[in-house]
Amino acid sequence: MKRRVGLPIVALVAIVALASVLVSAASGRPETKSAKGGTYTVGWESSFGWTDSFDPTGEYLANAFAINTNLLLRGLIGYNHVGGPAGAKIVPDLATKVPKPTNGGKRYTFTLKNGVRWGPPVNRAITSADVKYAVERLARPKNGAQYGFYYPVIKGFDKYAAGKAKSISGVKTPNPKTVIFDLTKPTGDFLMRLGMPAVFPMPQEVAKCFEGKPGAYGRYVIASGPYMIEGSDDLDISSCGAMKPISGYDGQTRLNLVRNPNYRASTDSAKARESNPDRFEFIVNANIDDIYNKIGRGEYDDSYATASPKVFREYTLNASKRKYLHSNSADGTYYITMNLTQPPFDDVHVRKAMNWVLDREAMRRAWGGAVSGVVAEHIIPNSMLANRLAGFHPFKTPGNRGNAAKARAEMRKSKYANSGGVCTAKECKNVLLVTDVRAVDKLTLPIVQAGAAKLGITFAARSVNGAYPVIQTTSKNVPISNRARWFKDFADASTFIGPLFDGRSIIPSGNTNYSLVGLKPGQVDALGVKGTTKGIPSINAMNDKCQKLALGARRTSCFAGIDKVLTQKIVPWIPYMWANTVTIISPNVTKWNFDQNAGFTALAHVAVKS
Amino acid sequence: MPLYIARRLLWAGVVVLIVLLLTYAVFYLLPAGDPALRFAGKQPTPESLALVRERLGLDQPWYEQYGKFVKSFVAGDEFGWPGLGISYNTQIPVIDQVTERAPRTLLLILGAAIIWLVLGVAIGVLSAIRRRTLADRAAMGFVLIGISTPVFWLGLMALFIFWNKLGWTGGTGYIPITEDPGGFFSHMILPWTVLALLFAAIYARMTRNTLLETLGEDYIRTARAKGLSERKVITHHALRASLAPIVTMFGMDIALLVGGAIITESVFNIQGLGWLAIDSTFNQDLPTVIGVVLLGAVAVVIMNLIVDIAYAFIDPRVRYE
Repeated sequence: MKRRVGLPIVALVAIVALASVLVSAASGRPETKSAKGGTYTVGWESSFGWTDSFDPTGEYLANAFAINTNLLLRGLIGYNHVGGPAGAKIVPDLATKVPKPTNGGKRYTFTLKNGVRWGPPVNRAITSADVKYAVERLARPKNGAQYGFYYPVIKGFDKYAAGKAKSISGVKTPNPKTVIFDLTKPTGDFLMRLGMPAVFPMPQEVAKCFEGKPGAYGRYVIASGPYMIEGSDDLDISSCGAMKPISGYDGQTRLNLVRNPNYRASTDSAKARESNPDRFEFIVNANIDDIYNKIGRGEYDDSYATASPKVFREYTLNASKRKYLHSNSADGTYYITMNLTQPPFDDVHVRKAMNWVLDREAMRRAWGGAVSGVVAEHIIPNSMLANRLAGFHPFKTPGNRGNAAKARAEMRKSKYANSGGVCTAKECKNVLLVTDVRAVDKLTLPIVQAGAAKLGITFAARSVNGAYPVIQTTSKNVPISNRARWFKDFADASTFIGPLFDGRSIIPSGNTNYSLVGLKPGQVDALGVKGTTKGIPSINAMNDKCQKLALGARRTSCFAGIDKVLTQKIVPWIPYMWANTVTIISPNVTKWNFDQNAGFTALAHVAVKS
Repeated sequence: MPLYIARRLLWAGVVVLIVLLLTYAVFYLLPAGDPALRFAGKQPTPESLALVRERLGLDQPWYEQYGKFVKSFVAGDEFGWPGLGISYNTQIPVIDQVTERAPRTLLLILGAAIIWLVLGVAIGVLSAIRRRTLADRAAMGFVLIGISTPVFWLGLMALFIFWNKLGWTGGTGYIPITEDPGGFFSHMILPWTVLALLFAAIYARMTRNTLLETLGEDYIRTARAKGLSERKVITHHALRASLAPIVTMFGMDIALLVGGAIITESVFNIQGLGWLAIDSTFNQDLPTVIGVVLLGAVAVVIMNLIVDIAYAFIDPRVRYE
């Protein structure tokens, strides 16, 4: 999913280093006092930044996932919205239990709980037809689904999407309480795919009015969770023409949620949702400093924002404020991407040498030090691999400061370098590096340049405001970029491997396999790739093998194996930090926890003084 | 005069269309990448990208998009007139977004304008008639501070002192006057003052300079010789003659602030047109960018016209045919 909130920029390394030491023992642990009532207010930086206007069918923003899964909507399965590995455990939500797949891993049968109802104004029982409708809405191309690629494993999905079938044959609803999914092949992470809001039940009587208008349903979302958009009860659904946007969400600056009168806590679990506050307010604020001033004063309780260095120092150095700062693993990796087709990075020894030489600790300090994350040892965060690769750090150097001697020793093996391990070839001079214009990019760029310079590699850096579209366009043939980062969609390593390293996922525009791992010669012309296009290593077959495995130790170990091959043998990246989500809360918050699945505050469990 | 106004309005239409054409061209010429990527998700397929482009009209050449836009702008669209389409980002009709944000900016400008006009002209007059006195030096000191101080710093300091420490005013944010008049004024007094200070300084200086020039004219000496009080000499004769450049500048400043009070709006979280312009630019939301640019262009054109008409009243020698 798309991350909206980044991490702070710290200008003074010395203060950050001190702050890192001081804060390392604190943070991340939940606050513990529950109390019903009150309003939980979240200050939102600059704009909501939705990818599809909050319409669940297409909305891919992580913050929207947090709001939907914690508060507004329920799916067949869900999570307990807690931190750490327990946060990745699948639990039943609308379904009575988490089913085991049958028919060789290709069938999942769900039974809906009794008493689960839509919020106002729909006011009826949630049925299996609502699930089927949501999946079919997602399949229809004109509805703007942004992660529909997860669901063609459902039988008949593609045929329906192509307009060649009247319904998706692989979604069966023999009665209002039963949903059966038949898949084309065993898919170990299918339950996790059902944990994403696009396939949560949707009331057809409302959503049908926005058919073919991506994003339009976002201002009319009907609740199935403990909260609804304020004003939902005033929505006139007698006809499509009668409908006006729900008043509690103005589309741009304010989203207010109040209790859903039709939600029954008896159909849910307090472990998953405590629903303590009476109200949630999400308020866009153009002034980031003002957000944190208001948190300090208790006018806001939380934020979806990037703290400034001043705020960061305030909360890390001030003992009385430190308890209000929480730092939790966000299950994401920040990295330098290297294009395997572009010299000098078409030589694995150069890529390995770059891994040896980069000062990862300096990169982490540029992002804010220890509170911002841990130095990455390999590609996928350990938290996503159940620590299967803990200690696996093939490019480990003392203090993670890089090692020029080892880098040059590696570089000597490359076709571009002299016997001293320094690149003398023209391919190493003025190599295009695409960076962004954020302040942190200006801090990390010199670190990358300094490291590469020790190997005789110089860069022609190009700053682009919003560099992603550039590095995502294969025909631009970008050799290297320091802009890249990736976060999970759900707690399975497949959400890293497939989009980032499977050669079949490479597309001309919007490509996320920046390194072009697995590129085949037959793809080259269509992608506009120039350079070294033969002999590009691939992990496609390994990925296929792992994808078939059910969730569990074998699957995790399988993906860990791919990580090892990528990190040590193919080396498409220089992963440098496994990022944390840093949250600053107000003194009014009496209970706080982290939702590992969503990567933000566990809104389902917060409590605030009323 | 009516024919003059009609002719000016016709040219205004031409100017607006040219501004729109330039905006379209710049949007597509800037190397910001494919705007469709912004709305197609983290891992778009070529098919989904193609659908996004088709839905947003981005699959057509920019001049065709421009032509379609002009057509719906003139004739209106399903959301009203003028037809500005729908925001790529929020799926809200652009005309609704603009009309919701515009009052915030216009009220910000109106309040600030009253303050800077009154303050600036008063200080300028005082400075001119008390030339080379302590009052004059103090006034010019104020001018220097007003022109030199960055608006964002002034805004943050004002918030820190008057809201955070003293609690004399409301904090950031905008409260509609219809919802809570007291809250509206409490929240707007600081942004009005901060925005006004820079302009007040400039207007003070301009008023002083033009008034000093005018006070040296023969007809002013004649007016004094006729026995008129100094107050009447200044207000009925000298000031009126000095108003022309002030009126010109006032009109242009109002027009430019319609799309440009970005810093003040950001510091005080007013989320008016300036904020809308910035947000839609970063999100590559072309229809909203066009909407705000259009409003700015229309504001400039109309204010220019008002200023020119005002000349006819200020200066009887000016006649329009």
